[in-house]
This record gives sequence, structure tokens and C-alpha cells, in this order.
Amino acid sequence: MQEFDFVKAKSLDHACTMLAGKRGRAKVIAGGTDLMIGLRNHRLSEEVDTIMDISGVGELAYIREEGELIRIGAGTTHAELALSSILWEAAPVLSMAAKSIGSPQIRNRGTIGGNIITSAPCADTVPALLVLDAALLLRRGESVRQVQIADFFEGPYRVKAAEDELLLEISFRRLRDGAKSLFDKLTRRNALAKARMNIAVIALQDKNKVVKDLRISLGSTTPIPCRFTDAERLFLGKVPRREDFLKAGQIISSEMVEKSGYRWSTDYKKPVVEALTAAALKRVLKAE
Amino acid sequence: MSYKVITRPLKRIDAREKVTGEAKFGADLNFSGQLYAKTVYSRYPHARVLSINTEKAEALHGVEAVITAADVPGENELFGRFPVFAEKEVKYTGDGVAMVAATSKSIAEKAASLVEVEYEELPAVLTIEEALAHGAALVHTDAPGNFIENTHHLMRAGDVERGFEEADIILEKTYRTQFVEHGYIEPEVVIALPEPYRRGVEIHGSIQNPYSIRENVARALNLRISEVRVIPGNLGGSFGGKDESVMLMAARTAITALKTGRPVKMVLTREESILESAKRHSYKAKYKIGARKGGTIVALENTIYTQGGAYNNKARFANWRASVHAAGPYRIPNVKTDLYGVYTNTIYGGAFRGFSAPQVVFCNESLMDELAAELGISPKEIRLKNCLKPGDELVTGQVLRPGKIPAPLKQMIEEVCSRSDFDRKREEFSAGNSGDEPVKRGIGLACTFRGTGLGGEGIDTAGATVTIEKDGSVNIVSNLNEMGQGMRTAHAQIVAETLGISYGRITFSPTDTSVVPDGGPTVASRGTLAGGNAMLIAAQKLKERLLMEAGKILNCSWEGLVIEDEIIQYRGKEKLSITFDELIPRCIMERGLTLSAQGWYNPGPEELDPETGRGNAYPSYIYGCAVAEIRVNTLTGKLDVDRITAAYELGRVINPQIVKGQLMGGLIQGMGYGIMEDTETKEGYLITRNFDELMLPTSLDIPEIDIILYETDQNIGPYGAKGIGEIGVELSAPAIANALFHATGRRVRELPMNLERVLLGRALKR
Amino acid sequence: MKKIRVSLRVNGRIFTLETDPNRRLIDVLREDLNFTGVKEGCGIGECGACTVLMNGKPVNSCLVLIGQAEGSEVVTIEGLKGKNGELHPLQEAFIEAGAVQCGYCIPGMILSAEALLQNNPHPTEDLIKEAISGNLCRCTGYRQIIDAVKIASKKIARKE
Ligand SMILES: Cc1cc2nc3c(=O)[nH]c(=O)nc-3n(C[C@H](O)[C@H](O)[C@H](O)COP(=O)(O)OP(=O)(O)OC[C@H]3O[C@@H](n4cnc5c(N)ncnc54)[C@H](O)[C@@H]3O)c2cc1C
Ligand code: FES
Ligand code: FES
Repeated sequence: MQEFDFVKAKSLDHACTMLAGKRGRAKVIAGGTDLMIGLRNHRLSEEVDTIMDISGVGELAYIREEGELIRIGAGTTHAELALSSILWEAAPVLSMAAKSIGSPQIRNRGTIGGNIITSAPCADTVPALLVLDAALLLRRGESVRQVQIADFFEGPYRVKAAEDELLLEISFRRLRDGAKSLFDKLTRRNALAKARMNIAVIALQDKNKVVKDLRISLGSTTPIPCRFTDAERLFLGKVPRREDFLKAGQIISSEMVEKSGYRWSTDYKKPVVEALTAAALKRVLKAE
Repeated sequence: MSYKVITRPLKRIDAREKVTGEAKFGADLNFSGQLYAKTVYSRYPHARVLSINTEKAEALHGVEAVITAADVPGENELFGRFPVFAEKEVKYTGDGVAMVAATSKSIAEKAASLVEVEYEELPAVLTIEEALAHGAALVHTDAPGNFIENTHHLMRAGDVERGFEEADIILEKTYRTQFVEHGYIEPEVVIALPEPYRRGVEIHGSIQNPYSIRENVARALNLRISEVRVIPGNLGGSFGGKDESVMLMAARTAITALKTGRPVKMVLTREESILESAKRHSYKAKYKIGARKGGTIVALENTIYTQGGAYNNKARFANWRASVHAAGPYRIPNVKTDLYGVYTNTIYGGAFRGFSAPQVVFCNESLMDELAAELGISPKEIRLKNCLKPGDELVTGQVLRPGKIPAPLKQMIEEVCSRSDFDRKREEFSAGNSGDEPVKRGIGLACTFRGTGLGGEGIDTAGATVTIEKDGSVNIVSNLNEMGQGMRTAHAQIVAETLGISYGRITFSPTDTSVVPDGGPTVASRGTLAGGNAMLIAAQKLKERLLMEAGKILNCSWEGLVIEDEIIQYRGKEKLSITFDELIPRCIMERGLTLSAQGWYNPGPEELDPETGRGNAYPSYIYGCAVAEIRVNTLTGKLDVDRITAAYELGRVINPQIVKGQLMGGLIQGMGYGIMEDTETKEGYLITRNFDELMLPTSLDIPEIDIILYETDQNIGPYGAKGIGEIGVELSAPAIANALFHATGRRVRELPMNLERVLLGRALKR
Repeated sequence: MKKIRVSLRVNGRIFTLETDPNRRLIDVLREDLNFTGVKEGCGIGECGACTVLMNGKPVNSCLVLIGQAEGSEVVTIEGLKGKNGELHPLQEAFIEAGAVQCGYCIPGMILSAEALLQNNPHPTEDLIKEAISGNLCRCTGYRQIIDAVKIASKKIARKE
């Protein structure tokens, strides 16, 4: 195990002051379910000399409903997300994603903030938050900024945040009445399994089955997690046709190959991305 | 015959300590002044070692020793050519070149990273094909062709050429299986300490085979065997695996313990465990089978290469076992089988539950279904037609005679098929699969038979000591080892049954090489069979001694006495009796008798013809038959097993709960290597380094399991028991492969049947 | 690396210690406090052998830095037995069901099951499987463990 000093943040202000004071030499630990593995494998950067624990900061753990807005503290655990009735009602896609993570033990420690900041390609909450068009609230010292999650990622395991910046909150609008959402995950086994690929979809159709809103995101697909707007556009303002489900999958798989290149896993991933997309769309959209 | 103690689901003798957390495993032991050891592993799959510089590591505060091959007092090469430390050459990435011992874990970790080794890389052979290619680099320069010494085993029955001429149909197929990691949840641990009272060394830890490790440590340390004492602790699973690497750990830590005069503890991380421990051999098996139109098999020829890795001491035995089973539980008049072990610069093959059977049974049973499909008959029909029946001759020439070697397979196939509704479900699933729903269902069948005990692999001895103490408690010690399989409980039941006393009187001591003589290894499902026989013999000796003494006290001939429910009584005369509790103190305190007896079981060697491989390969055989039902998503390759129905013939069941636990645990392990587990490598380096990559089955992956137990009489084991530890693992993978074919029409001939193989028919290489 | 001072309650007793901050909860429980019923199998959160209850919830003690456990309430397998050494219904049930083979996974398994039964005394089989899905067992194939949790659930109901 690597060596470091340890401090426990007593409050949000304390955490931010400390982080600012350390100017990038402190690293935050929340649930530790990603960071501890990094420490074990000696992946903590040389510059870091202090680990700051935010797992006890109650101000970071909440799920709140404010009108149309759902606000989630970055320190909220996956178990708390998966248990929240507010969330199941307002954004089941995120509840499903949280429920699918790891194991009960991992969900009891791992946080939504850690999942976003680690930004593993297979991170399960990320596609869900992308289709929710979530906004992230970050704080550095005294200054606070908000970014859209779609603009937050730089590449696998890389986010656009400073070392001394703290993620405070994730917020999004609740699903509109009548909207359907879905999260699905392909794994090698049924628990303790990181996603081989995952997909999140939100869809809204009017009485005449005309698609008013459609948002699709797949994880482990592109270097920068994103929504697949070309595929979404195929349906917007129209009544879905069955053959478009597969076509949407093909649009996404070509985008994947374009962005990731043809890799060792592409032979497998390409048909599966198409299949997962088509199957998900079939479940959330009523066709002609 | 009605039994009082055996055949009952009694509570395990060691369960209480294990549910309270009081049971100590190797890592839980600490000795004062102990050092923590860490191995420095090879950086290359194959390289010359030019120099090793230990200065920086030695200079680190808290480092007490850094040792290399130069510090090995005795022989550096142990059984199977494993070097205590690689000296001039490293042959795979798990080779140890040095070991550090320090006053704390973290110092040891740091010191290990400071040992500087200079290498010159050599060309490496990483697959069976590469190793066998013309002009391939040699793993061991004195092993030409990269063939492992003494691993070519064969079986010749009838005349295959003629057999194939008689065939209407001939199929040729090649199957492959992967290296499989044991995945016991406890990583390996060894603690070596200088003997406190005499010259020598004492070794504790997660050790499956204490006697062979004792012998090898003695060789490495230049000590006499009797100067090494090995006491295995509770093992957190082993399944054959805690052997070669533990032998090396024991030698390394023992050398350091004697050098420093301090206890030395080495606990492997999971990454080190997967890197350095044995795996189930990877197989490449070429099969050719010939049958008549009606489905009668007339000839089978197979050539099987087993990947042994950089060093190997098991393929010579495992390949022999495979040679006996490579024609399956079928009557095939003409058979030609050859097995070869192959060295590669990779992780190595060792013993793992089944010991060649998982690989061979996967190939055989896949082939049977392929043949059935080709012939247009059902998988059940082809097996019923060809399976071994009473009076048939095994490929070894042994004749199946009820009472000697039973042959209930036909009945078992019929029962398993009817219990699982095989015929109807085959039709129903097929009909359901014809639509465009992506999820298809399938049902598949597989059978097996298994030679019990070691047979011709070695002499099947075992030893036991049973001691009745003054207070009437009875202690048992076996030379065989408890690893979780429940052997001690079975032993306790056998001893209690034989002595006519209650199970609660029995206690056990851990195996200790200084207490019980070497009776061979705990392998080949020998625990109950050989070990139980030794217990039975010891208990019978004591019983005789007790009855003789009771005869004197009661003034009657001892031959008429029986012990039942703790009362020694003259048959038919209730008055002539004495209780166990009365008798024991009189024997010990008044008569000065020893109530300790040693049991030694020795069935003698089995005779085999080296030219044909035929003869009495095993004294008896056990049988199994299973049906698996699966669901597979044809768009993603995701496969789930819904249900397994299985029947096993095991002689006498000593404890049904433990037997079922062994079988179910085996079935799930079988499903694991069948559909998800793999040890992936890239250019000779392991990619599967920890449990996040290994993919052991979780509680959410398991099917419903329905098990039928068959008992038969007159078997060689104690009270007719036979070994049950391994057969459970054999049938899941082939039954699933056959179900997958039924569901999709796609035959996967390589394990594991993971997402990629199910979808694309091949694995992807990173 | 500055040592830190940590206070936590383990199995009802408060412990205060000074230690290096780069140690994990599992290290302190096993090495300093001698709760060796906590087992290590992988060190990366994948096997659950190190499971303890932290503030009532099962967590992998190999993924918790000791400093993070400050002020927390931890229960290990050693904390399940009653005052007079009587076994917890889950412990009895594991013995009865034959759910123990090598025993290495068992402490973690029982604690995960305990957390489940605390929240839901009458779980369905699916919930039992879910609750122990972070605990690998290589020996049993899980069936007898699931049976044991069902038996324990009945035992607890009978006691109440
Ligand atoms: C066995 C196992 C199974 C897993 N399974 C899954 C799975 O199925 N799906 C999945 O998506 N993930 C999985 N994970 C990964 C992990 O659990 C999640 O990513 C989790 O959400 C990480 O959260 P954490 O609080 O534990 O993060 P930590 O490990 O505490 O932190 C992770 C990173 O985020 C930073 N960080 C944390 N919080 C903040 C904050 N508020 N502000 C700024 N930086 C912060 C830390 O500095 C660190 O760099 C698994 C992990 C393990 C060990
Ligand atoms: S040791 Fe903690 S989960 Fe395996
Ligand atoms: S009993 Fe051995 S791992 Fe579970």
C-alpha cells in the first residue's frame, strides 16, 4: 500500500478549504471502492501526499426533490440511490443503474460522485445520467461552477475537473409524465460484474405514438461517454418503425467504430451494440 | 443392514468453529519475532538471468534476509523440476528469483521491489502448437520436442483400423479446454519456524499434501525427512491446488527460517496466488469416432495434448488417468488413445478436482452428441445404446460384474431423463426456439464414469490413528487432510459406527507428519475410500481389544460380544453386559492397555500392461449422469443455466448432506469453467490477475439443482463407500455445451463458452 | 506519513488506537484487535470474505481505510455469538444445513445474511441470493447456504 497522510473532512467547507490549501497534493476518498484498488496497485500519483476522507460528510449525502428538479449529493451511495422511492418514481433509469452495481457491499460504500469522477468506461450511472441530461455542481475553494455531464468527460478515466475540485451535486429534471426509461447491462455473470456494455434510454411518445423525446447512451462504447444523437434523430417527431430499431443500432455501432477504431473486441461489440440498442428501443417505444 | 451413525446427515465435526470465526487458518497464526516474506518473481516468460543484485534490498531498514538460489543448502530442483529459485534461467512469469524477509509486510513489499535482476530475454513457447512446432525453442533443453517426461500414456483395445473400416460414419473433431484456476477463497499461506526443541524446521500453512512437501523441503534444506515437521492448518479450499506453489513457499521460508533463526510467514496476495499456483491442464484433443448407422460405436481414436507449463509433476499421473477414461463410459471394441504432456513457458498444470476428467468428459460427451446429431438419433438413445452395462468389458479389459464393479448407468440415464422430462422438453424447447425471440432454450445430457482411488497411479495406502482416552473421548488423526470436503466428519462417523459409540465422542487432531506415517497424498477422492478404510481398520483393532477385555471381565468368550449404543453385550444375553464408560477406565487404568491403534490400508498395486495400457486400472468405478437446461441470448451470447438434474452412483453414502454438498459444489465449479472462468494470457503474461477477471460463479448465477443418489453394495471402501469428491465437477460443462447446441444449433468446442464464443464461435484475443 | 488516532466500536467494545493511515480496516481488525474471523481473499472487494457490518451495513473491510472507520460501529463474526456463547440462529442454521465446507467464506457470508435478516426477516429466495451475491463461495455452490438462511429466518420467527 502506498504511503500518505490522512485527514477526515468534518464538513463541506472544511473539505473545500483543505483541498484548496493542498493545491492538488490531496486526493479525495469517498466510498473508496475505486481508490482503494488504485492504492493497492500503486497508481496514486507521486504528487499526492494526503488522502482526504469525505465519506463522513453528511452534507454530501442526500436525494432531494425540488419541483421538477431532482438533486443528489455526490456522496450518496448506490445503495441509497437504489432504495430511494423518489428516484424510482422520478428517474428509474438511474435507480436501475445503481441497483446493478457490484454487490451489496460495494453499493453500501460506492458513491455516485466516485462513479462519475473515476469515469471508467463501464461506469453504470454515467449513461443513465447522460440520458437524464444531468448537471454537475463543482466547487473549488470558494468558487462554484456547474457543467453539463455531457461536457465533463475527457476520455476513459479522465474528467475535466481540477485535482482540488470537489463534486457536490448531480441534478436533473424528473422524467416527464408518460416517459419511459430503461437501463440494461450485459455482464459475464449476474453479480460482481462490471458492464461489458450498458445502455440507458429515455423515451416519450404522444398519444399517436409520435416520438417527442428520445435519449440513448451506451457505456463501454466510445472513449468519451456520450448520447447518440444521430440515432435519436431517426425517431424524433415520427412514429417509430420496427426496422428503425435495428437501423439505430447500426448508426450507433458505426459511430463506435469511428470513434474507438476497430479494436480486438469490435467483432463482438459491434453486433451486440446493435442488438442491445434494438432490444432496448423495442422495449421503450411503441412502434407503428 | 441398519446403521446408527453412518448414512446420516450428522453435523460436521468442524462446523461450530467455522461458523463462529474461531477456526484458525494459516494467515491467522502468528509467532513472536516472525518475519514477513515476499517472493521476487520473474519479469519475463523466458529469459536468462544475468545477475541478481540484492544490495539495495538488504540495505533497507527492517530487512533481515534476501535469499536466492545461492542460499539453497540442498537441492534447488524439487519434484517436477520446480526450482526453489530460478538460477540461470526463468521459464515463466511465476518463477521466483529471490525472496525477501523483513520485519513488516510493507517493508517486505518495498524490499522486493528493490531487488535488481538483469535478464536477457529468450524466445518463449506459449501454446501447445508453438511448443510442438518444428524447431521450437525448448523449455527444458533436455526435454526434446518439449514433451514432458513420463507423460505419454496410451490405451490400445481391439484394432481401430479394422473398426473404422466397419463404420458407416466417421467423425473427426478437435476440442480445447482452458487452464482453470482453483479459485479457493483462501490464498496460500506458509509459516516456517526453526524447531524450538531440536534440529529441524516446523511448517504450518495451507498445505494439501504435507508429506510430499516435507520430503521436498528436506531435500532443499539438506535435512533428513524426520527433521521436517509439517502441520497443515485449516485449509480454505484447495481442490488439488495448494501443492506445488506451497511446496516452493515452504522451501523458501524454511531456508530463511533456519538462516535467520526466526519464524518466517508468507501470505500470498490473490495476484501472486493466481500467478504462481497450479491450474487445471489446458487440453487440445483430437478425436475420431466411427459408428454404424444404427448408432453402435465401433471405433474411437484420440490424441490428446495436455499443456503442462514450465514445470510439471502431475501430468504423468493425470494423463494416465485420462488414458483409462478417454473412451468414456461406453462399450467400444476398438480404441486407440494417446496422451502427451507438453512444456510451455506459461503457468503450469497441476491437480484440480477431476484430474483430467473435466477435460476428457467435456470432449467425449460433446462428441457423443455430435455423433447422435450426425446419425439423426437422440442424445439419450445413443448413450442408452452404447453405455456400459453389466457384463461389458471396459477398455481396460476389466469386466463389469455387479457385486464387484457395478454398472447402473443405463438405469441412471433413464431416470435422469424422466425426472428432468428430457424428451418432452427437447421437443418443447425446439418448437419454442423456432420463432424470432432472441432468447433460446436448450437441454443437454452428459454421462461419466470414474475410477475410484489412485488405481494404477500409485499405491493407494492411507494411515490413521484412533485413540480412546480415559474419559471415553475418542480422538482421530488421519494422514489425509481436511480441506473443506468433510472427510473428518466421514471418518468420525465411520469410527463411531465401528465402535458402536455416539458420534459426539469423536474429536480430531490436525494432520501432523510427525504423528501419523506417510500414507500418500489427499487426492483422487481418497479421503473416505482409503482414509476411511484406515480409520475402519484402526477402529476394528480397538473394538477387538475392547471386546477381548470385556470378555475377560464378563467371563465369556469375546467372539460372542457386540457393541451397540455404547453397550458391550453378549448376543442374546442381556445380563452379560458392560457399558463403554465402565469398560474404558478399567482397560486403561486397571489393565494398563493401550487404547490407541494405528490403521494402515494397503490395497496393493494394480497391474497394468505398459504396451496396451490395459489391466486392473482401478479397483472400482463410480458413475454420473446429468441433464442441464439453459437459456441463451443469441444476440449477446449471454448464457444462463436454469436447472441441473443429476444422478450419481457412489457405493455407500456415509453422510448424505456432505455428499450433496460435494456434488453441488462440484456442479457449480463445473458450470464456472464451462461458461465463464478463464485464465487469459497475453504474450506469456497473465491478464487474469485477481477475482475481478477470474469470474467465479456468484449466488446469482446458480441453477436449481436436483440430485439423485444411487447406492450399491459390496464396494471396496469402508461400509461400501467410494470417493465422491471429484465426480461432481465433470458433467456441467458438457451438458451445457450440448444444451447450447440444442438451443442454437451451434457447437462450441472450446471452453469456456463465454459471451464471445457463444455469439461468434470463437474467443477474441487481447 | 503521520500516524492517526482512531476510535471505533467493534462488537460492542470501544477501541482507540494510533496507527499508520495507509492501513485498511481489515488490517486493524485482524492484526491489532485479533478479530481473525475477518478473512482476506482478494483485497479488491470481489470476494466478500472480509465482510463486516459497518453501522449495520455489510461492507468489504479491505476497501475501507482505517481512518474512514473513525467513530463507526463495526460487527465481525466474533460479535454474533450471544453473551453466554450461544450461537446466533444463522450460525446454528449454517451448521444444520451443511452450509459449511472449508469455512473460509462463512464469516462474511453469515454477516451478509445477518444484514438481510435485520431488514427483512422473511426474505424470498431471490432476495437471499441477492444479499449474498457479494460473497464468493468456491466450495458449496451456494445452495446449502441459501437453505441455511431460510432455516435461520424460520428460527428467528419462532423466537419472536
Ligand atoms: C468489486 C467491485 C465491483 C464494482 N462494480 C461496479 C459496477 O458494477 N458498476 C460500476 O459502475 N462501478 C463498479 N465498481 C466501481 C466503483 O464501485 C464505483 O465506481 C463507485 O461508484 C466509486 O465510488 P466511490 O465512492 O467508492 O469512489 P472512491 O473510490 O472513493 O473515489 C473514486 C475517485 O473519485 C474521486 N472522488 C470521489 N468522490 C468525489 C467527489 N465528491 N468530488 C471529487 N472527487 C471525488 C476520488 O478522488 C477518486 O479519484 C465496482 C468496484 C468494485 C471494487
Ligand atoms: S478480501 Fe475484501 S472482498 Fe475479497
Ligand atoms: S465453504 Fe469454502 S469458500 Fe465457502
